[in-house]
Amino acid sequence: MKQFYWVIAAILVITVLAVLLVPGVDDFVEATFQRYLGRAAR
Amino acid sequence: MKTVVKILLVAVCLLLIPVTAVSTAAIKQRFADGPNLVFSGGRLVAGEMHTGADPDWSFVNTIPTIEMQLLDPSTSRRIWTVEHAGKLYVWSGYMGSTVGRLWKRWPVQAQRDGRAVFRINGTRYERNLIRIQGGDELVGITAAITNKYPSQTNRASVEQGDVWLFEAAPRNN
Repeated sequence: MKQFYWVIAAILVITVLAVLLVPGVDDFVEATFQRYLGRAAR
Repeated sequence: MKTVVKILLVAVCLLLIPVTAVSTAAIKQRFADGPNLVFSGGRLVAGEMHTGADPDWSFVNTIPTIEMQLLDPSTSRRIWTVEHAGKLYVWSGYMGSTVGRLWKRWPVQAQRDGRAVFRINGTRYERNLIRIQGGDELVGITAAITNKYPSQTNRASVEQGDVWLFEAAPRNN
């Protein structure tokens, strides 16, 4: 289980860095979020 | 019992990944000059500020979205707009649902302080948002909206408060 937490922590760090630094990742995240949000708001 | 707790912990950890991605993207957008899709952006900085008489707003009817920033709070978002009878209008749907009210906070903020800046085709315009809740003019405005967008906005939805409609009037201060 301890190893699982480390993997999750690493994934979270990679996620933050990818959204901040990799072009297009923030757009993808936002577009996906918008799709779900729009559905939920109806 | 231990297994249930473990499953819950794993679920929470996995849920943290999309939550982190969305939060990071939202925070990143706050520091940008303007909005992107759904997350609010920062102040509209780039672009020449329009001075003088209002332009013929009919050109916005060929533009899908514009950027709008309120002065208080100074966050910006991308919104739909339409021109009707020489006036400019913006609106927010989903205002009748709880999720919508949580998501769309700018209409409430705009009703409190309507001072706004629009950025259209790279030019900034100072406007004052005035909410319209009723009246015969709604027929023409909502027709302009449904002609331009795949929207079900009509007079009743505005009068019932499901859609909050604002005229973007000139700002004098």
